[in-house]
Amino acid sequence: MPARILIVEDETLVAMELGLILEDLGHQVAGIVSDSRSALEKAGAETVDLAIVDVHLADGPTGPEIGRRLAAQGVSVLFMTGNPSMIGPVPSTIVGVMSKPTDERLIGNAVAYALACREGRDVSPPAQLRLLN
Amino acid sequence: MPDTRLNDIHMLSTPWTEAERLDALYSYQVLDTLPERSFDGLVEVAARACDTKVALVSLLDSHRQWFKAAQGLDVRETPRDISFCTHAVEDDADLVVPDATLDPRFADNPLVTGPPHIRFYAGTLLRTAEGLPLGTLCVIDDQPRPGGLTEEQTRTLSILAEQVMVGLELRRALSSRSSLVAGAAESEGEHNVRDLELARIAGALAESEARFRAISDSMPQMVWSTLPDGFHDYYNARWYEFTGVPEGSTDGEAWNGMFHPEDQDRAWERWRHSLSTGEPYEIEYRLRHRSGVYRWTLGRALPIRDADGRIIRWFGTCTDIEDLKRHEAEREVVSQELSHRIKNIFAVVSALITLSSRKHPEAGEFAAALKTRIQALARAHAFVRPHTAAADPSSDHTTLHAFLREMLAAYVSVDSGSLVVEGDDAVFDDQAATPIALLFHELATNAAKYGALSSPDGRITIRLSSDDDRFRLDWIERGGPEIVRVPESSGFGFTLARVAIEGQLGGHLEQTWAREGLSMSVELPVAALQRRRHAVCIREP
Repeated sequence: MPARILIVEDETLVAMELGLILEDLGHQVAGIVSDSRSALEKAGAETVDLAIVDVHLADGPTGPEIGRRLAAQGVSVLFMTGNPSMIGPVPSTIVGVMSKPTDERLIGNAVAYALACREGRDVSPPAQLRLLN
Repeated sequence: MPDTRLNDIHMLSTPWTEAERLDALYSYQVLDTLPERSFDGLVEVAARACDTKVALVSLLDSHRQWFKAAQGLDVRETPRDISFCTHAVEDDADLVVPDATLDPRFADNPLVTGPPHIRFYAGTLLRTAEGLPLGTLCVIDDQPRPGGLTEEQTRTLSILAEQVMVGLELRRALSSRSSLVAGAAESEGEHNVRDLELARIAGALAESEARFRAISDSMPQMVWSTLPDGFHDYYNARWYEFTGVPEGSTDGEAWNGMFHPEDQDRAWERWRHSLSTGEPYEIEYRLRHRSGVYRWTLGRALPIRDADGRIIRWFGTCTDIEDLKRHEAEREVVSQELSHRIKNIFAVVSALITLSSRKHPEAGEFAAALKTRIQALARAHAFVRPHTAAADPSSDHTTLHAFLREMLAAYVSVDSGSLVVEGDDAVFDDQAATPIALLFHELATNAAKYGALSSPDGRITIRLSSDDDRFRLDWIERGGPEIVRVPESSGFGFTLARVAIEGQLGGHLEQTWAREGLSMSVELPVAALQRRRHAVCIREP
């Protein structure tokens, strides 16, 4: 099942790489945004199943808050950061945290796991994904 | 031998020997003791009465004269052979020198030809009850005085000399008395001596208290003291300066009100614990500054015990650590920011490699290998970056076991039993992390392609061992495909790791291609694992 995925990342090259990896996996990139305002706008305008969110963005360490707001709109969320303690308490639709930089295999496994959770399927998480719930 | 000569003279001209005289002097146990106000006062009066710049209580030791009290002179002693005092003692008589430049005994004396340019000298012997001269009370000036001292001045000097002896006798009586058992029978005379001693003890106590206050008021810290039950009865000047409260207003238990309300219970509890157990007190709390602002403060206290081990007092200090705390927090922010940027750079470099190689499928394998190496370095960095309590309270130290488990989790599930890390653990820092990360990345990548990790039954054991100054890491692959021949050349990645281990860490690396699997051992100097920490240790006392 191809999904529509929003990339929230202010480092252009990293975002581009992630976009290509996701497309290789057969998904659609719903957009690449670098701050909270554009992230929320994009999520309001487009259909988004999953968002991959960096913690430090163009407007500061706003990733966790963006994640919470997107989750409240029914979007599944994966964080990308090396410092999970920055994230704090999260609602259940936020799936987990990948460390940065990530390899393609982990991205593929984490996205598959997030989408499976979204569909209510019972699957076991990839070993390197830090779960938040 | 000057002593022999002196003794010979004494044998001839004095009713005592030099040995008897020195025995008497040493019995007072006064040489090299601290200045005492009672003696200082006497030399002050002597200089004033005789109108001289200098007055001394000079005690004549075998090779030196030592000054128990000195007015107008900075030195505490001079060699005996140039001392004027020697002449008075050797002649067993008071000595007056109206102009030293005209006296053949002293004209060439360095104290006359150079500083302090002695011209006039008058010394009165300090005699024990037995008549032994210990030294002199003398007055000295850099102007000659042809008329010498007046009769009145001479009389004053000899009365003051008697007072010096009274002081020395009291000192001696006091020190021998303190070793006697209390309640021994006392004669009327001893009674008088005892009263004098008590007065002297009281004086000494007052002096020591004054000294304590002077020291305590000059300290940069706040200093306080309590009775054994914790009742605060003393604060130094710094406490009142910091808090701005009226003197005496924080006596008893009122000090707790100076703390931030959120810290009061904690401070009470800690203090009560110390009071009941006698354990040293140490705590950080916010203390109200006179400006009304609370500042972080380090509070410490230690009990003072008597000979029987009973606590007789508590002495404590408060140190303002607000600035320290703030710098710590700022450093933490900077360090986190730096660490974040470094991680980002790894991510960007990694992305750059992927994007650049995308149009060149023939470079795909090369790009993938390079990328995984960059990722190994990024993981190594993330693991050993300076952790602080706020960022990651779980890891105080970076240990090799934890590092290897985390590094290798990218290649093999540590829980599955196919990887075992065993043996001695060690703390290490980021200097060593890069070479070790590179090495194990190459080993794990190769094991996954061709070695133990390429077959389901394969397993890897990492065994760590240390002796005094060497650390050894063994990587042992078993259960993988049988090795039929030794590879002709090791890959670039492995060459890279070897250079890093041998060049950067000063280690030694050895590979063994056995039929049942690859073994590799690395030997490192222990210091290489934590060069930075090592340097820190050396700097610390």
